[in-house]
Amino acid sequence: MSDGKPRIGVFKYSCCAGCEFQLIFFQKHVLETLGKVEIVFCRMLQSGGVEEGPFDVALIEGTITEQWQIEQLRKIRSVTTYVIPIGSCAVCGGVPAIKNNEQEYTIQSRVYEDTSRLTSIRAHSVDQYVPVDGYIKGCPMGERDLAEFVTSLLLGKRPEFIQYPVCVECKLQHNICVLVAYHWPCMGPVTNAGCGALCPSHDRECYGCWGPMKNAHARALANRFAKMGLSEEDICRRFTEFGEPTVEWKPGQVRRWDVVQK
Amino acid sequence: MGRGAKIEIDYLARVEGETALTVELDGAPLLQLKIFEPPRFFEGFLVGRKYNEVGDIVSRICGICPISHMTTAILAVEKATGIQVSEQTTVLRHLLAVSQIVASHLVHLYTLAMPDYYGYPGITGMLERFPDEMARFIRMKNVMNHLSGLIGGRPLHPVTHLPGGFTSIPHPDEFGGVLEELRSIRADAEQAVRDVVDFQLPEFFAPCENVALNTENRYSFNEGRIVSDRGLDISVDDYDAHFKEWEVPYAFAKQSAIAGRNIFRVGALARLSNKFDELADRTKSLAHEVCAGLREPNHNPFNNNLAQSLEIVEGIEQCIGILESRVFEEEEIDASPEPGAGGAATEAPRGLLYHWYRINRKGVVEQAKIVTPTAHNFLVIERDLKELVSERRDLDRGKLRLLCEQLVRAYDPCFSCSVH
Repeated sequence: MSDGKPRIGVFKYSCCAGCEFQLIFFQKHVLETLGKVEIVFCRMLQSGGVEEGPFDVALIEGTITEQWQIEQLRKIRSVTTYVIPIGSCAVCGGVPAIKNNEQEYTIQSRVYEDTSRLTSIRAHSVDQYVPVDGYIKGCPMGERDLAEFVTSLLLGKRPEFIQYPVCVECKLQHNICVLVAYHWPCMGPVTNAGCGALCPSHDRECYGCWGPMKNAHARALANRFAKMGLSEEDICRRFTEFGEPTVEWKPGQVRRWDVVQK
Repeated sequence: MGRGAKIEIDYLARVEGETALTVELDGAPLLQLKIFEPPRFFEGFLVGRKYNEVGDIVSRICGICPISHMTTAILAVEKATGIQVSEQTTVLRHLLAVSQIVASHLVHLYTLAMPDYYGYPGITGMLERFPDEMARFIRMKNVMNHLSGLIGGRPLHPVTHLPGGFTSIPHPDEFGGVLEELRSIRADAEQAVRDVVDFQLPEFFAPCENVALNTENRYSFNEGRIVSDRGLDISVDDYDAHFKEWEVPYAFAKQSAIAGRNIFRVGALARLSNKFDELADRTKSLAHEVCAGLREPNHNPFNNNLAQSLEIVEGIEQCIGILESRVFEEEEIDASPEPGAGGAATEAPRGLLYHWYRINRKGVVEQAKIVTPTAHNFLVIERDLKELVSERRDLDRGKLRLLCEQLVRAYDPCFSCSVH
């Protein structure tokens, strides 16, 4: 760390760039944060920059959907102390990984007539390719975990990320359980917290945008949904909107994707 | 300039998404905007998803204009499935749209465009020299995010917005609080226009058709007919009959044109060129005072920056007007979808955005089509770059390169959106 300032690189892969925006406009903390760290590479923020590193921290946003991204990711890993995926795309595949439910060619040919020049591969999270040193979850990534990470970095301590389900936050908000009371297909029990139980607090069920909670019991929730009368396809859709390639939600993802056939 | 002279920008910084730019200077300049943003195939994987998931999914197309994608998709789904909404829902959608457009313009003007005009690589180095401007920017941004977040649950990727309406309505006191904040940034907004005038935008004449959504007597964003300053006037339902889209070998984004018409432009400048008379009095008088000459259909693409700054003033005025005159009440969402197909268009911060869906009797998407503002602007950006380079080819190479970058950024393109 030159001048004691951590050198940070920010890399974007296949995603909406919302996390990078969340980072750049770190709300009230933006001014003091920018003074305390050195952002050496972030294309959205500044021209130029040092792509080769070395970095104290590399923040990675986006799903990995191209071969060149894997190669660059490995290079980044080799010159970086802490590699941190930010946001659901990088953490658990996120929305771009919905495409994994069907053959790559089927998906591609719906969008492009000429698929021969496409180089897309199956969508996977960052940790499928390189070891990572923590996750800042959320879609977009959560402010609380981001603040925790930046503070920990500056203090030289280990960050404490949120690792419990949305249900915990829902109880703290004094919400009525929408799953038990209203039989809404709420993903809260298997979804990592951090949003402050946003959806149940706004009269709708959680749709899982923060991705799977560690050791989530997806099968139990899927069974519950089935008892409530949800079709197999509907259950599968709930477990594949965020986190298709994850082991945690796999038991909820029944692969009978024939809904399109009339 | 010698043979084989070339400008290559292998990664255009400070725009949303990933693109490279090649300009060959010999003879007639050859120009390619190589949008290498990886495709995510939204139109591919939306097939098979439920009608009420579409809004949540497509908001992830873009981190700057999630609300535009979400609202357009929901409007299209409602059109396809025959779901009706209340007048209150339409007003809330308008507020949501305006709050995001203002926030997006602020981000573009202060962090993506401004560094170019003062010779900085990015916003980080500018904090010391421009503390007032940066403080102003963050004040306004926070208020607009507060309004988006109040209605949507969170400003980025809102959660309350579904086909049929909003799941929850904020308490009147909360609206009162944000109204106070909006009043407190009125002066900031006017100063923002002056900040942009201070950029001293380059002079450049590149005429083309200006296309925008328009309604009578209102500067609206979510409804209207597709019109232009050269006589185009079509219903959104006829979009597919007029707008054509095709693939190009050097970019993952598609290009778009209107059949039988010349090249066109969308965005803040196009909106202003079509709808100047509909602006609030305060915005109009400011436009006359600070940037006389912007009134007529304007043909300097760099002035898109100026048009955006005027929309910041306009947007804040509109929000204040609505919040002063209305009370919002809780209401039930009543959505029972019928099978069908339908499209909708809105004005995203960067211009005309179109979504179309076909939905079957199970409420599942069978076909999806999304055409973004940057796809609409793809051709005109390339054309303008070509003309700029031909006109100023004797300029020092570094300066020409910067000018090219400034021009692309003036359009405020979103390459993540354009590929999606």
